[in-house]
Amino acid sequence: MKGTNPQSEPNGDSAPLFGSWPKAYCVALGIFAFEIVLFYAFTAIFS
Amino acid sequence: MNRLDYVVLVATILAIPLYGLWRTRGRETLGHYIKGDESIRWATIGLSVLATQAGPITFLSMPGQAYESGIGFVQNYFGQPFALITVCAVFVPIFQRLKVYTAYEYLGQRFDQKTRLLGAFLFLIQRGLAAGITLYAPAIILSALLGWRLNLTIWFAGGLVVAYTAFGGTKIVSITQRYQILIIFVGMALAFIIAVHRLPAGLSFGRALSVAGGMGKLQAIDFSLDPDRRYTFWSGIFGGFFLALSYFGADQSQVQRYLAGGSLTASRFGLLFNAVVKVPMQFLILLLGAMVFLFYQFEKPPIYFNRPAYDRAIALGHGAELNELQAEFDDVFARKRDLLNSSGVNSAFNRAKTSREGGSRQEILQLDARARELRDQVRTILERAGASPKSKDSDYVFITFILQHLPHGVVGLLIAVILCATMSATSATLNALGSTSAVDFYRPLIRPNAPDHHYVVATELLTIAWGVVAIGVASYASLVENLIEAGNILGSIFYGSILGLFLVAFFLRSVRGSAVFFAALLAQSLVLILFWTLNISYLWYNLIGCVAVLVFSLALQRTIFAKSSPA
Repeated sequence: MKGTNPQSEPNGDSAPLFGSWPKAYCVALGIFAFEIVLFYAFTAIFS
Repeated sequence: MNRLDYVVLVATILAIPLYGLWRTRGRETLGHYIKGDESIRWATIGLSVLATQAGPITFLSMPGQAYESGIGFVQNYFGQPFALITVCAVFVPIFQRLKVYTAYEYLGQRFDQKTRLLGAFLFLIQRGLAAGITLYAPAIILSALLGWRLNLTIWFAGGLVVAYTAFGGTKIVSITQRYQILIIFVGMALAFIIAVHRLPAGLSFGRALSVAGGMGKLQAIDFSLDPDRRYTFWSGIFGGFFLALSYFGADQSQVQRYLAGGSLTASRFGLLFNAVVKVPMQFLILLLGAMVFLFYQFEKPPIYFNRPAYDRAIALGHGAELNELQAEFDDVFARKRDLLNSSGVNSAFNRAKTSREGGSRQEILQLDARARELRDQVRTILERAGASPKSKDSDYVFITFILQHLPHGVVGLLIAVILCATMSATSATLNALGSTSAVDFYRPLIRPNAPDHHYVVATELLTIAWGVVAIGVASYASLVENLIEAGNILGSIFYGSILGLFLVAFFLRSVRGSAVFFAALLAQSLVLILFWTLNISYLWYNLIGCVAVLVFSLALQRTIFAKSSPA
């Protein structure tokens, strides 16, 4: 990703590691959903 | 603080800017000065975005917030991942494709010059004032507790930031923020470890969490639909989304961070990094506050953490009343601690198996409520005495814990954490203010065709000028009644209209420049009128301002400006 040239991604739809940006967004949202589950479990156990 | 603390403090806050100056030595083009160069990678962008948002208030006030109200505040950040992904998908590709220096340049290309200037102007007013408050907020707390001279603290921190930001531009801001946020992480982690370590020997971390949870401090999620509840999952998702979209999409101090380096991939990864890291970071900071709360269940806390304000009230003749409250507070604390120290109650907070254990828990909660009532009574006396502080007492909780209970060396590091957070947030703001003034005002209106180097010097000088404004605002910020709220109120008043301009630009293709320009003026006027006449939560002004721009611009485009619509 170092020094990535924007001209090499003209449509902006190629995300390194993930294949496409929508997939990258889904992964980020998946991680966030997992965090919510952990917070919920934390609340249920300790509150 | 002793000599070791001062050595750690001074070395930390000076070493990072000096390293940044060394890395950014040499003359630059305007593009490099405002957007950095390709050596700025996605991780630096991600940390820089994180550091820009996490100002000194985050590290001073958040633990105190958890101390007072528990960790439910974390829900306010739940809208951010959605907002960051929206910015990645919609805002960043447009900004990068048009190769703009500022977000408001895009408004000029999409609409016209006057709309660009309006967006930039609203940003400059809001951020120029907010920069002063960012400098003032930690300075008033540190100077009060450490006996530093307030203006000297403001001028030292402000002067240092202005100097290195003006010299190195965006690249130095990104580099210094990367190391400043790492220092912040290390300092906060140390504070967390020490807070847990200082709990009574028989109280394991798991049991400590059970006790803190039993005392109502660990409810991270609340799915309630009750509008009277201050922090819920739903208000965090919807309200937080809107606020974060305004902040990350339309505030140049953030836009400049993720446009640094000029790569679409780096910008997006930097923002996605924040989408997954920001919420856990806030959770841990709040959990640290809950641990500090628990620590103060076994170690007697001051009845009022803002000791200078308390002492002023005594000097003003309220000593007898305060001593009476202090005596009762001491008694309440001793009884609560005795109950907590009994092994039966520790298990009661895990699972109350017997009525005796359940009864002890109720008694502890009642004593805790009484302690809070006594603190409220102290605050009322302070206000009556005219010794009213400029910020909430909870803002003094974490710094009091640092100064009174952490070992020397770590105290210096934690004070450095607060100053690092101040410098990183202020440098990003000054960098954005200088860039916006130069690119959106100076270049098009005053010197349109000067050589590139001329604009670099102009941006440097404008950055210094905004630094002077910020220091000036900080020097007079004592006129603001509640300074921490003031920053949020300022943002809420202006963000809505600015975001509205961008949403019209992206999604209402039929609307042209004049319609959106007058719509934004009307919306901003409406927000200001409502602010002065209504008594509603300031967060609503974000929504009102934005929706008003959308509605007014459509209405104006279809009526008064119908002739300017495209055929």
